[in-house]
Amino acid sequence: MAADLTIPCSPHRLSALVRARLAVALAAGSLAGAASRIAGRGSGASIRGQLLMKFAPDALANLLPGHTIACVSGTNGKTTTTHLLAAAVRASIGTERVVTNADGANLHYGIASALAVAPGRDVAILETDERVVPDVVRLGRPAVLVLLNFSRDQMDRNHEIKSLGRGWRQALERAGADGPVVIANADDPLVTWAASSAPKVVWVDTATSWTQDASLCPECGTMLTRTDGRWACPTGDLAQPEATWRVDGDAVIDPDGTRWPLQLQVPGSFNVSNGACALAAAAELGIDPETAIRGMRTITSPAGRYATAHFGATTARLLLAKNPAGWAEALPLATRGTVVLAIDSAAADGRDVSWLWDVEYEQLAGRHVVATGPRAQDLSVRLLYAGVEHNVVPDLATALAGHPDPVDVVATYTPFQRLRKLGGLT
Amino acid sequence: MTVTIVLVYQSLLGIYGDRGNAAVLSKRLTWRGIDARVVVVEPGEELPADGQVYLLGGGEDLAQTTAVRELTKDGNLFRALDAGAAVFAVCAGYQICGTTFTIGERDEVVPGLGILDVETRRGDVRAVGEILYRWTKPDGTESLVTGFENHGGFTRVGAGARPLGVVERGIGNGYDASEGAQQGKVVGTYPHGPVLARNPELADYVLELALGHSLDPLPRPAIDELRRQRIAAVRSR
Repeated sequence: MAADLTIPCSPHRLSALVRARLAVALAAGSLAGAASRIAGRGSGASIRGQLLMKFAPDALANLLPGHTIACVSGTNGKTTTTHLLAAAVRASIGTERVVTNADGANLHYGIASALAVAPGRDVAILETDERVVPDVVRLGRPAVLVLLNFSRDQMDRNHEIKSLGRGWRQALERAGADGPVVIANADDPLVTWAASSAPKVVWVDTATSWTQDASLCPECGTMLTRTDGRWACPTGDLAQPEATWRVDGDAVIDPDGTRWPLQLQVPGSFNVSNGACALAAAAELGIDPETAIRGMRTITSPAGRYATAHFGATTARLLLAKNPAGWAEALPLATRGTVVLAIDSAAADGRDVSWLWDVEYEQLAGRHVVATGPRAQDLSVRLLYAGVEHNVVPDLATALAGHPDPVDVVATYTPFQRLRKLGGLT
Repeated sequence: MTVTIVLVYQSLLGIYGDRGNAAVLSKRLTWRGIDARVVVVEPGEELPADGQVYLLGGGEDLAQTTAVRELTKDGNLFRALDAGAAVFAVCAGYQICGTTFTIGERDEVVPGLGILDVETRRGDVRAVGEILYRWTKPDGTESLVTGFENHGGFTRVGAGARPLGVVERGIGNGYDASEGAQQGKVVGTYPHGPVLARNPELADYVLELALGHSLDPLPRPAIDELRRQRIAAVRSR
């Protein structure tokens, strides 16, 4: 059943005590958030949320109910898809009722913070970290859950990709009939396995090209086979589901067979896949594709991705790539003569940079390449073996200085956030 | 002669950029004017029996047991070893070369390939982080090996093999200060992924094992600088 947004949601019913504690936590958190903004350390959402969770550890449990919730999770594309879906919802019901964690703060405190500062907004479009999905499903009873993809990412922390999928699967099993309608990427075997336990799944054929992280059947460990672009386990226990929504080139075909050209402003085939999932989620929320697409087309640079920044006289487009699957999408978009690659190994980037060897940097041969960031030397050795000539300029600001023609920058998470600030975007 | 480097089951044992080791070995040969080719073999495909170097990388539990089953069925890895090839195995690949290892939450003991006299059991901590160890080559000379380890198993080296070196930073084999193991032309070590990129001496040692003759030094300042940075970083902790 579609969650009809025209039906008013039940108002918050918080006890007086809970309200008082949240108020105290919010006041403390808002001061800290403001201080963080003044100090130039970001939007303030995460620090505000951290304090909120410290003073009111059950903040999320108190804040989630009363909202019609759509969650977006997966390894890559969460932020962009959340922006696309939020824009689709706004195009349908206006801006006043919609709350979203647009800054990408997607852990418990990031979500709590977004909800806490927007009381009275009853439709929540929430980017949700893979590890937080089970809690949000349990505490918030979302109407819709979008599961985009799974690939290797931050392996120093997530030792086994499958354990995240297992968490989703168990959460959906436990939620049972009260669980969300799941919008799931049918091209991804682990997403499929995780989503299969939900009572209602809307399968999307996203025409995903990255298959390197999905060799084995998540159910039994047998090698998956791929024929005509469709995957299956030879034992017959799992196979690519028949999708009702599917990507066809730059367009999305809906369950009625109508073809919807997306013409999004965010580039690349990967974002057509994200757009297809957002469109299917919007439909489940009762929004027609035409309205949804009108909203989605307003999205240009979600949380700085694909944004144009200025570093002195240098103009640069910023691309984020966090793991091999992300780099496979981002590198072909970096088409300018000069490409700056920024690598770090802070906690948010993953402390292990072995993944550099799973990225086909060979395609950059012949371009003017600058390696920058704290792990520029690791990249330099990778480029040496790839036969790509380059300069090593570890300091980000120096690496971006003095380019007469526009450049493309591809960065891991931490340098990406630093470049947004250096480039005047936040 | 073209040197054949076989990258074994990349989709199962390649989770940590382990293909980097194949790229490094092949490039270090071509830089010296020796022809080299990398053959990527996936499960279900037959391994070449006439390769000179076979590479096994990192992977999850299910992938390990699948790899052992497929390699045993295929048999060509054993034939190649008998014919004088070298095996370089990291992380999960190192574990499956041993006699036994454990998988899953119930620590089920499963047989390995048995080409290296080591056995692996679940350790009391997970080893995640930069590792630095002092590698003693068979001729008695020493070299530092720098890399990143991420494994839950601890490994005991039996009488048939000898440890590669002594850990200075990190966990390594886990039960004692030793790290890695070598038995004949089979070399196993925990630092995963492109460990040979950071350690050109180890790369050339594997090639020399496979070719049966020594190779000229190959100075590359970018690699020296990376080694200097990583060794300093791990020692400063």
